[in-house]
Amino acid sequence: MAKKQAAEATDKGRLDGDPAFGYRALRGVADEMLDPQGNVRPVWQRLLAALGQMDETELANRFARADRYLRDAGVFYRAYGKDSTERSWPLSHIPVLIDETEWAAVSEGLIQRAELLERVVADIYGENRLVRECLLPPALVASNPQFLRPLVGVEPAGGHFLHFCTFEIGRGPDGNWWVLSDRTEAPSGAGFALENRVATTRAFSNLYAETHVHRLASFFGAFRDTLQAQKLHPDDRIAVLSPGIANETYFEHAYIARYLGFMLLEGEDLTVVGGRVMVRTVAGLKPIGVLWRRLDASFADPLELDQSSHIGTPGLVEALRAGSVSIVNAIGSGILETRAFLAFMPTLCRHLIGEEQKLPSIATWWCGQEPERQHVASNIEGMVIGPAYSTRPFFDDNGQSVLGASLRDTAKTSVAEWLATDGGKLVGQEVVTLSTTPAWVRGRLTPRPMSLRVFAARTRDGWQIMPGGFARIGSGDDVAAIAMQAGGTAADVWIVSDKPVERTTLLPAEESFTRNLPGSLPSRAADNLFWLGRYIERAEGALRILRAWHGRFAEAADPNMPLLKDVSSYLGALDISTRQPVPDSLLANIDSALFSAGNIRDRFSPDGWLALNDLSKTARKFHATVQAGDDATHAMTILLRKLAGFAGLVHENMYRFTGWRFLSIGRYLERGLHMTRLLGHMSGPEAPDGAYDMLLEIGDSVMTHRRRYNVNTAALTVTDLLALDPLNPRSVLFQLNEIKTEVELLPNAFVNGQMSPFYRETMRLHSGLAVMTPEAMSATVYKRLEQDLERLSDLLAQTYLG
Amino acid sequence: MLYDINLKITYGYEVPVGGGRHLVRVLPASIPGRQRLIAGSVTFQPAPGERSESVDFFANATTSILFRSVHEHLVIRMQARVQAEATALIADFSPPLAGLPSQLASCWSIDAESPHHFIGPSPLLPEAPDIAAYAREIAAENMTVRQIGVAICERIHHDFAYDAEATTVTTTPAEAFRLKRGVCQDFTHVMIVALRSLGIPAGYVSGFLRTLPPPGKERLEGADAMHAWVRFWCGTTGSWMELDPTNNIPAGTDHIVVGHGRDYGDVAPVIGVLKSYGSHTTEQAVDVIPVE
Repeated sequence: MAKKQAAEATDKGRLDGDPAFGYRALRGVADEMLDPQGNVRPVWQRLLAALGQMDETELANRFARADRYLRDAGVFYRAYGKDSTERSWPLSHIPVLIDETEWAAVSEGLIQRAELLERVVADIYGENRLVRECLLPPALVASNPQFLRPLVGVEPAGGHFLHFCTFEIGRGPDGNWWVLSDRTEAPSGAGFALENRVATTRAFSNLYAETHVHRLASFFGAFRDTLQAQKLHPDDRIAVLSPGIANETYFEHAYIARYLGFMLLEGEDLTVVGGRVMVRTVAGLKPIGVLWRRLDASFADPLELDQSSHIGTPGLVEALRAGSVSIVNAIGSGILETRAFLAFMPTLCRHLIGEEQKLPSIATWWCGQEPERQHVASNIEGMVIGPAYSTRPFFDDNGQSVLGASLRDTAKTSVAEWLATDGGKLVGQEVVTLSTTPAWVRGRLTPRPMSLRVFAARTRDGWQIMPGGFARIGSGDDVAAIAMQAGGTAADVWIVSDKPVERTTLLPAEESFTRNLPGSLPSRAADNLFWLGRYIERAEGALRILRAWHGRFAEAADPNMPLLKDVSSYLGALDISTRQPVPDSLLANIDSALFSAGNIRDRFSPDGWLALNDLSKTARKFHATVQAGDDATHAMTILLRKLAGFAGLVHENMYRFTGWRFLSIGRYLERGLHMTRLLGHMSGPEAPDGAYDMLLEIGDSVMTHRRRYNVNTAALTVTDLLALDPLNPRSVLFQLNEIKTEVELLPNAFVNGQMSPFYRETMRLHSGLAVMTPEAMSATVYKRLEQDLERLSDLLAQTYLG
Repeated sequence: MLYDINLKITYGYEVPVGGGRHLVRVLPASIPGRQRLIAGSVTFQPAPGERSESVDFFANATTSILFRSVHEHLVIRMQARVQAEATALIADFSPPLAGLPSQLASCWSIDAESPHHFIGPSPLLPEAPDIAAYAREIAAENMTVRQIGVAICERIHHDFAYDAEATTVTTTPAEAFRLKRGVCQDFTHVMIVALRSLGIPAGYVSGFLRTLPPPGKERLEGADAMHAWVRFWCGTTGSWMELDPTNNIPAGTDHIVVGHGRDYGDVAPVIGVLKSYGSHTTEQAVDVIPVE
């Protein structure tokens, strides 16, 4: 190990005379850091000099700091495929640096492009002049799956179709930028760009402060203001509409919603009443004015769009027709992503804007027309052939596109034939190469191909381009753009000025301070919080019983001892087996908690999320390794401690508003049920030897019992302490007391001055138990109480979660 | 021909449903030179909480209804008086198949009547190689587009058995083709896929068929419920033509049009999204009574 480090140090020392530390651009390819003469571009000099000052250990520490940030912040993406698990975000730690003057030119080109796209989509769903005037082939619209006929003639409420677009751009060998693809449907990545920025500045904090890097916050602030301005009524709410937790960029939906202070909703949260989109909240239906849509348009309304969609809102299109809601981007905008459209952009730009395109797209030919087909056929070697109606860029379409050169072996005539028969479905695109940028690979700066995702937002003052973005970095050194498949990394993009830049943050300025009340809690979020509370408490209940069981099993070593047998059968009825030290059902229970929490990621601190994940991982590990008896007792203690850690985080950090109340009610209700059921089973006169002591242990009340009652454990004292003592946080009465307190503070506890049925039932149960004596508590009473508590849960669901 | 048309669609829900939203397309259309809707109404029982009328992309009258309260059944009733105009079958001005692409290319339009909507695959009608091969075999070199349409209609009628038990509303054309059986929806879908595979724009027509045949004629298949047939494009020179593959006849005054679309999905009489936990039953009753 020491030897290796020494060797690297020598290697580095040898290169000290070289300002680029041995970094060499690839032949015939533009490079972001080196100019065509091989000199380090001015914006990179400071970074490079700083890197030169750092040794291996320091760099490794800095990179680790960035990675730790991403891990702690819970940044992940979901990869579709064999296992659609959450993956940690693959950060390439070296940012891409671009001079602000060059960026200004890129921005100007993209602003022109955004404006062009807006006019094209407005024409397609409006006047149709482009088709009538023979500028856009009718087939590309009429045969296009992205052309959504129910939206034809529907003018967007805010007057515009597009409010947020992204562009994938790359730099060709001549140093000029090209647009590789336009994203208008539900463009992702802005949240990841923000997280890349935070993580990268963790690695290079001092350097970031010294280098005049343009900040990202004002871009988001301006866009937030745009969305605010779209509201038709002051009471309207703004929400991010997500397809849900299974989506690959769900993290980002939650992140953006939290960052901008919008609600995070799914299709089933919404309903359309009287032509208005409403969100179901625990306080009733509330109007939605603006939806930032991250859901593919065809899924948005199962009635008028894709009828097989299970994640849409029936009637949404009708609300759009009524002009009562603004959806960003407009439903139907996805048609602009059609690959064949790239072929017509230059003409459309001349026609609609009266200018040449400032930033051209890669040369594209639609093979549905004879001259274009000819051109593609005779230049096949320099072409990528792909599906005309695809909305994915050719470098990211799961191999649907092929290099013309790879068709060399097949007879040329068959290619011509293919183009002749299926021409309308195909496009040819010029093979392009990308520039390279330095990435840290195996201890040195190495050129890697890259493309940039750039974000454009409509603001009050027109389109604004985010000064930055994120760079996709290729995993190998193949610079052909088609080689940019998944599996690469992402880097931050620094737009560098030669003077200090304006610093903005999304925090309000001192003088404009207002305290916004949290918005109404969507019913689905309340449902998840309630069940998270119940699952967590259910897990705790099971853990406590199992720990007590294994503790006694370790002493007796006989599972047929009456008490152990009795408790086994009790657990068996709850589907918890004592044959497995860490039972399957316990894991399932923790996973259910994790799933509920995952559905409300935007309401959760990353710390709480990590704690819950850690609990799940540990339980899984124990499931595989732990033995019955002492080992299991110890394992349960560890799991209980982790569970308490999560509960503590929630208790200490969660804002005391409606969401917290549902979580709490879930916990109290489940704890009450757990204790009621247990007492009903074990506190009767026929209870086996040792049952009362075990009850106290499960109820964490051994010490209290000793202090409060100067007698040995007996049915009455145990009942008094665990069922009726209002001061014991494990007693049934305590739970009802707490539920009563929370319920009073929920919305609609009173309707027209009268108690809601849920509130009334809570009061009835509470006072019914409060007047009981230990002597009166019997198995029958417990049974009835158990049923009452279950019904209380149903009533809560009816009142708030429907 | 003047008709009075009555339609009753009844949904029975096994478990009462808590609410729901439906789109209903059952009212006959007014089409210049083809038919005229003199009067018509669509009513619902129970009465919906909300109701609105609109006209969709393909000019079909659409009623949107919303239920908020629990109900056990839904009855949709449509009554209409329609004047169906007799159109003499004009001479065949359609081009040979090879001449169709250039005529198609000269149509710079995407309005509802544009053939471009009816050429590509549509949501319920993906390409089907078996049906394409079947169509290629029927279409001979020297035939006009209209002759090809007529020939395919004839062949399907000959090769397929009318069988209400063999298929359901969600059967794909490829499956119906394999079975060589089905109802009007299947016949129509298979014929549309066949025509499109040859590059001939073709669409779905939903409507009614007179229930009692004129004296001395046989009762037609599909008269006891809503019917479906094919509309295909015979070029700029030949316009649209309607053929009924279930009965192997051109659609004439016995066929009353409700809606046009690319496939069944565009013109389904009822599309609904319900809050429901159980299954449901559907019944349809149709009366098409000549008034004169």
